[in-house]
Amino acid sequence: MADLSIHVRESSGATVVQPEGFINAHTVRQFESALEEIVKSGRYTILLNCAALNYISSAGLGAIMGLIETVRENGGDILLCSLQENVFAIFDTLGFTELYKVFASEDDALLSLAGKV
Amino acid sequence: MATATDLENFRLLIPSQTRYLNLVTGLAKRASTVAGMDDATAAKVSIAVDEAITNVIMHAYQGESDHLVDIELRFTGTALEIHIWHTGRGLQQDEVVLPDPSEYVKHPRKGGLGLLLMSRFMDEVHFEERAGRAECCMIKRVS
Repeated sequence: MADLSIHVRESSGATVVQPEGFINAHTVRQFESALEEIVKSGRYTILLNCAALNYISSAGLGAIMGLIETVRENGGDILLCSLQENVFAIFDTLGFTELYKVFASEDDALLSLAGKV
Repeated sequence: MATATDLENFRLLIPSQTRYLNLVTGLAKRASTVAGMDDATAAKVSIAVDEAITNVIMHAYQGESDHLVDIELRFTGTALEIHIWHTGRGLQQDEVVLPDPSEYVKHPRKGGLGLLLMSRFMDEVHFEERAGRAECCMIKRVS
């Protein structure tokens, strides 16, 4: 099994990025490239569905941090959903749960984006 | 002949390549559960190990892949000690400046978070350099 695979799809006006596996110094370039490609194509509302993300190290957090200003300056945002306990612990420990909106499920996140919650 | 005490420790030597991170973090996670930690704590230990070894590969060895990283796990009965040695540029204890997470939230930027995760997820993190080898020692007590 590959260390990381990344699935990208469009849903309800957001680009849903679903990483599967591990994001660390070995795989971060792959993750970063996927995010950069989305932003370059003018898609600024990105939902990271972390259901299949086993862990993310600071290298992966850096990749997200590197794009947050760009997407927000363009009226978009990076949202997170379906975080496993240990992934949530990493975001929470670093205070990132204040910086990013975190949702229990993809449906909850998309409903929020649609202004229905 | 190995003694029972020797068997409380084990050692792994890996090339300075990020492709081996998963191997070592998986081992650290399993070692943590063997030491008596729950799954959530074991996951935190594995992240701290990932960060420490990434620092060695990317900063101490500046990404050069032809060096070695020497890792030892010691079970003391009350804690798991993780020792990481290398011959690259060692981090001195007084160079360790942990970023303030609230400042990161106000002024997002890349980098600098690995040491913070190590310090938050482990009970002790020490750096020292001796006889041409640098060491990072991390301790997680079994509660």
